[in-house]
Amino acid sequence: MSCTVRIASPLRSYTAGAATLAARGSTLAEVLANLEQRCPGIRFRMIDEHERIRPHMRLFVNTSEARELSAVVRDGDTVHVICALSGG
Amino acid sequence: MALTSSERDRYQRHLALTEIGAAGQEKLKAARVLVVGAGGLGSPAALYLAAAGCGTVGLVDCDRVELSNLQRQVLFDSSGIARSKAEAGRERLASLNPEIRVLAHALELKAANVRALFRDYDLVLDGTDRLSTRYLINDACVILGLPLVSAAIHRFEGQVMTYVPGRGPCYRCVFPQAPEGGVANCAQAGVLGVLPGVLGTLQATEAIKLITGVGEPLTGRLLTYDALEMRFHEFRVARRPECAVCGDAPTISEPRDPAAPPTGTGPAVRRLTAAALHELLRDAGSPAPRLIDVREPYEYQAGHLAGAINIPLGELPGRVAEVAPAGTTVFICRSGGRSLAACQMALAAGVPGPVNLEGGMLAWSAEIDPALPVA
Repeated sequence: MSCTVRIASPLRSYTAGAATLAARGSTLAEVLANLEQRCPGIRFRMIDEHERIRPHMRLFVNTSEARELSAVVRDGDTVHVICALSGG
Repeated sequence: MALTSSERDRYQRHLALTEIGAAGQEKLKAARVLVVGAGGLGSPAALYLAAAGCGTVGLVDCDRVELSNLQRQVLFDSSGIARSKAEAGRERLASLNPEIRVLAHALELKAANVRALFRDYDLVLDGTDRLSTRYLINDACVILGLPLVSAAIHRFEGQVMTYVPGRGPCYRCVFPQAPEGGVANCAQAGVLGVLPGVLGTLQATEAIKLITGVGEPLTGRLLTYDALEMRFHEFRVARRPECAVCGDAPTISEPRDPAAPPTGTGPAVRRLTAAALHELLRDAGSPAPRLIDVREPYEYQAGHLAGAINIPLGELPGRVAEVAPAGTTVFICRSGGRSLAACQMALAAGVPGPVNLEGGMLAWSAEIDPALPVA
């Protein structure tokens, strides 16, 4: 399964500035593991040591929120990584 | 609140809109809107609210105008440098529209003053540049039952959402907690000058819709904007029953002051600048501190301080025993965020007085050793 991951602006230092990346996986956990292989360290910015989505991050598969790493990702889906921003 | 002849002339284009008309314009005239943060977002928001005939506009900001603000903060001009933002903004808005009342609140928003300030307004716009203040504003709005239009920006990206108590989620439902170590603000990360113009005018649009009762508010929908790709995305977000302030069993019933500032530390975590660490390492009379670099291995391999041990933050919970139980332990990362989280983990595991290198390797490279590569 191949999907697109849209990266929140504050995490783009891990993706060499790329806003979107292609990734593989049929669940959110697999997609993030695949992303981590190419962007080391990015997963820990989203997922804590207890395997929970961090409380200042929100993950969406297309427009539906994914609150668990077991969320299903289908071929052609877009995973959106949203981060609380502070600038004003 | 009937319109005067002069107001009918000024707002003619609104009066021509059947959705607004005289009734909507009279609602705007009666409305009292508080703009918290007269910065990149607050500038266009306040200008359009004043131009639209919002009867009372309040500006909250304790800062003074700086030259570097003028790239995006269109409420001010070069003659206003060093003036109070609240006061300079008040004059600009009063000049734009003498028919309205503009109030300057040159103060720092705190738990002690938020109730007294907010109770004189019907609607709040959040354009602050500190994440922790966003929680204070949200909590006060939920507790006082005030609608809130909140926006935030970072580099080329922004997000905006409208929160109406009892009609959807609040800010804490969307982002329950600020991250440890904070999120970079505009000064740290940079921002495209026109970006807050887009987001601030969206905030003003939402405020005018809420006041006049037209259209569909952005409640329960998080709107994001990417200026580089020129794309908007919209996401449905539901109220969280477990939310600490608007949930079924709230634990926050009073506005409270923000927790430690983004770069702050807990009382038992010590902070060290790059220069202070440099001095400590050169001081042969002191026991050498233990240096723990919590970055990822690839970052560590690109360049690290002599003698530093690499324990990536993700591995720290399982390897905390490797951290010396006595003596000084300094945690290091790229910019100081992950190392602060490491300090807090170490503290919880019983490591006495962990030290955070403020600004991380970026600060070390900038201040001490520019030749040291930082991945």
